Amino acid sequence: MTQESRIDARGPRVSPLALREQIEDAMRDLRRLGDIVAIAIARRDGLIIAHDLPPGVDPKKTAAMSAAIVGTSEMAGRELGQGKFLQVIVDSDEGKILSTGAGEEALLVTLVRPEANMGLVLLGVERAAQRIAVLLSGD
Amino acid sequence: MHTGTGIQLLDDKLGGGFARPSAILLFSDHPSEKRLFAEQFLMAGVRGGERCLYVDFFRAPQLARRDLSKFGPTHGDDIVFVDATSVQLLIPSSEPYTIRDMDDLGHIMETIERAIRETKPARVVVDSMEFLADRFPKEDVLGRWRHLLEVGKEAGATVAYLFLNWTYGQAEVERIEDMSDYIVEFQSRMRTGVLQHFLRIRQIRDGTVKTNWIPYTFKELVGLTVYFPRILVTGPFNAGKSTVVRALCKDTVSIDRMGTTVAFDYGNLEIMGFEAEVFGTPGQERFDFVFQIFAREVNGVLLVLDGTRPEDAPRARQIMELVGRDTPLVVLANKADLPGSMGDADIRGHLNLGPDVPIIHTIATQGEGLTAALRTLAEMIVGVR
Repeated sequence: MTQESRIDARGPRVSPLALREQIEDAMRDLRRLGDIVAIAIARRDGLIIAHDLPPGVDPKKTAAMSAAIVGTSEMAGRELGQGKFLQVIVDSDEGKILSTGAGEEALLVTLVRPEANMGLVLLGVERAAQRIAVLLSGD
Repeated sequence: MHTGTGIQLLDDKLGGGFARPSAILLFSDHPSEKRLFAEQFLMAGVRGGERCLYVDFFRAPQLARRDLSKFGPTHGDDIVFVDATSVQLLIPSSEPYTIRDMDDLGHIMETIERAIRETKPARVVVDSMEFLADRFPKEDVLGRWRHLLEVGKEAGATVAYLFLNWTYGQAEVERIEDMSDYIVEFQSRMRTGVLQHFLRIRQIRDGTVKTNWIPYTFKELVGLTVYFPRILVTGPFNAGKSTVVRALCKDTVSIDRMGTTVAFDYGNLEIMGFEAEVFGTPGQERFDFVFQIFAREVNGVLLVLDGTRPEDAPRARQIMELVGRDTPLVVLANKADLPGSMGDADIRGHLNLGPDVPIIHTIATQGEGLTAALRTLAEMIVGVR
């Protein structure tokens, strides 16, 4: 925000509390897929919106790193002529990190067990990302 | 004499806090965190050994006491309560000052005034004016309120009162502002799921104090903390940006290759009564897309420059263009210990800086000058004059 600008006095369309509950509902539904270890929702500029990361994992760092991973991947996709960014999967030997676009402004970050059924996980993540995109498009 | 706000960065800039005696309007158009500010203000007084008076139309004294204790220990009699809830709940009161009839504006105000006269508190908090504004005729409330504030001044108190405006028009709000010495305005806004709070302080009459909208957050046991969600550390290649981030923050993540930042440095800091998230960008132009990711809603910029390399100036100017002219910015002339480091005039010339952009000479490897640079930037963002 610039020094002189005034804050938009209009309140958000939904109350912050109601929005938080709806986001948490979406996260809870996604967690029903057993193979998902933790979820974070971040803004594409690296601020955290919501998460259920385990203690010891810094949500702010997670948001910043996800934004950088996605930003870099998005750039690579565009430069190499692969079109619009959809998702990054970071495959490590003890699990996977999915960063999925959830609308223009947000990312859904999902930590997945290594032995997970990825077909099922990808389907669930895609559905949750769309739901979060709709929830966040209001404000 | 001053009464501190309990928020260090503000008190520093207010010359110790609000003048005492004075009247402080805590104002918002929408529900906001005014009460936290008021509680913190009161508890800053308690910590300083001052006697404080709390008038709460919404909370029973025992509940208010419990809420206040989250800012630190309260003892038996350092806070005097005017009990306005027992009568609403039809229960007996154990407080020395009790309002017995909530339908009688004269009685309500006389009880508060008597409490002020008799206890001579340094600080008074009244939560809230809108409680009365919603129940009694406008002219009566405004007239009695003016009288209450006069009683407060005679007793030598700083009186802070909350007002969430549901009912009054512009003219009445201006009359309320007019009886106050300071107005603290509160705003909250939500953008893409992230809720941010801001406050701004104005001195009404002589106008010597006027801050920008100051972002803040709430921390358990500390209270309101000035909070900058994004301080950008940027500048040309090999100027020492990562070193600056690591020296300022206690816990950092860096994504680099052979000492060159390829993605970003990130750290969190708590210093001088404020908290900030610090994002360091790569210096090389080919990574500017990373810069674009983090360059949104930037509170302030530390532009790190190798003070011995005038040839980096074009890149530094290019980065300043990316940042935009409206964002507060401090130039760090780094490597000030090396031979050939430029003086202020040279740097100002090479970077085409206006006279209002501060230049601080730093030695990032030794941590020298960094706190000063950060403090300067914080003061620019807060913008007290």
